[in-house]
Amino acid sequence: MSSAAITPRAGVGDGLPALFARWQKGGDHAARETLIERYTPLARSLARRYGRSSEPFEDLLQVALLGLVKAVDRFDAERGSPFQSFAVPTILGEMRRYFRDSGWAVHVPRGAQERALKVRDAQERISGAHGQAPTVGQLAEYLELGTEEVLDALQAIRAYETVSLDAPRPGGDEDATSFGDSLGVDDERYELVELDATVKSALGQLPPRDRLVLRLRFVEDLTQTEIADRVGISQMQVSRLLRRSLEHLRALTSAPAGTR
Amino acid sequence: MAGNPNVRLRFLNRPENVLLVRQALNGLAEALEMDALELNDVTTAVTEACNNVVLHAYGGEEGPLEVELSAPPGELGVVVRDRGLGLRPGAEADEHLSGGIGLPVIHALSSRVELRDVAGGGTEVEMRFATGAGRSFTEPQARAELVVADGSPSSSDTALLTVAPAPVAGSVLPRVLSALAARAYFPTDRIRDAQTLVEVLLERIDGSVTASHLEIAITVVPHSLELRIGPLESGRAGRLLEAAPSANLSPLLERLGVGQEVSGETLAVRLAGGRT
Repeated sequence: MSSAAITPRAGVGDGLPALFARWQKGGDHAARETLIERYTPLARSLARRYGRSSEPFEDLLQVALLGLVKAVDRFDAERGSPFQSFAVPTILGEMRRYFRDSGWAVHVPRGAQERALKVRDAQERISGAHGQAPTVGQLAEYLELGTEEVLDALQAIRAYETVSLDAPRPGGDEDATSFGDSLGVDDERYELVELDATVKSALGQLPPRDRLVLRLRFVEDLTQTEIADRVGISQMQVSRLLRRSLEHLRALTSAPAGTR
Repeated sequence: MAGNPNVRLRFLNRPENVLLVRQALNGLAEALEMDALELNDVTTAVTEACNNVVLHAYGGEEGPLEVELSAPPGELGVVVRDRGLGLRPGAEADEHLSGGIGLPVIHALSSRVELRDVAGGGTEVEMRFATGAGRSFTEPQARAELVVADGSPSSSDTALLTVAPAPVAGSVLPRVLSALAARAYFPTDRIRDAQTLVEVLLERIDGSVTASHLEIAITVVPHSLELRIGPLESGRAGRLLEAAPSANLSPLLERLGVGQEVSGETLAVRLAGGRT
């Protein structure tokens, strides 16, 4: 949610038409600076409203200020309409163009994925430490994210686990990567899915305890701490064992991660 | 907006409820396969209109915030309505919306805007957004309604969500539910269970609806959610639960530590947000 409106000190209006005239007709750069300064809160407010957390705020603010400069240069003060009604669409248009040109709509899924992974890691870490999944508020506090961002990340995690991991990523046709690929090599669960069917035959070659731990982790979906309790080893050992098993499986199968 | 919208929401004009509107919007955008850039425009404009209702519509008092979403081909229509003070004439309409820049923002991001007085008091802003979305939804014949009662059962505290058709319900309800479950301090695994439960119930309920609409009431109290679903065909509510052991419903119900009760045509399910 955007914060309360910031009204630029435009209404004060002392000498606004004069300032525009001084810049646009007289080429007075000081007048231009004054105008830009006066309306910077407007640009800032629009950047905050239009921006999404995937984009660094400072970057977007720069784009909004660029839009403001264009608006100051192009505004026709003699028409009698308020500057804001011209500046708002000009600044928004600039930000929109920036998003479009930077391929934001395509990159957003990746940003969302990265955040989803962070949220899920935190979720597991907190679950492991406390034996209970965190609330959304706890995750938000822990990761310094907003409630909404955490909710969106949880939704993304759900989506990843529902769609086929080998389905091509939307908009990612140029490199034909799959969700599985883009989720990162340190992600044990997706690694296992990636290794796919070949894993099943390779599993038979693992010692029984390793197989049990893998099953508890990936089939019964227990946390590492829960597995540790069940099997009677430490959580650290579970973690190490999982990593070793996955490496072992990878070696046994012909498909190295990230190449499919 | 003529006819029945695909999604209809009614909440109290509390700041936290604007998030529910955005969650519903995200769900609809997903069902429509809308572009992220388009959704950002829509979200920004709709948030402005909602924030206006939160901040200005009732002069510091509480009142309803109503939002309707519809998705005819090539377009997304959004109506944001309050039952409050109404528009003041002329330039003040601008001032009315978030300190002066709300309306210019809405104008800049939508393809058409109309401001209207609501009969009996209040204002409505109708926004249209051109979209290249691959899908659209026709005006629903039957409706599914979600009634969200936020804490107290008083009628003024009741919010309403109408969703149709089924693909919309499937993507909108779980999102709104997750935000409400978060509000009730559910841990994330319980949120996920609650979402799955609602999806399974929606699937199973299909075909058991007697009226032209289905109401799902969700009452939010700390650490639990109460769902009331109805009206269902007489006896059907009971059968939904009887059949549960054979379906994947029962492990969910068990995990969520719920109590259930069937009264007439309504199925009530209580979801516990904490381990008991």
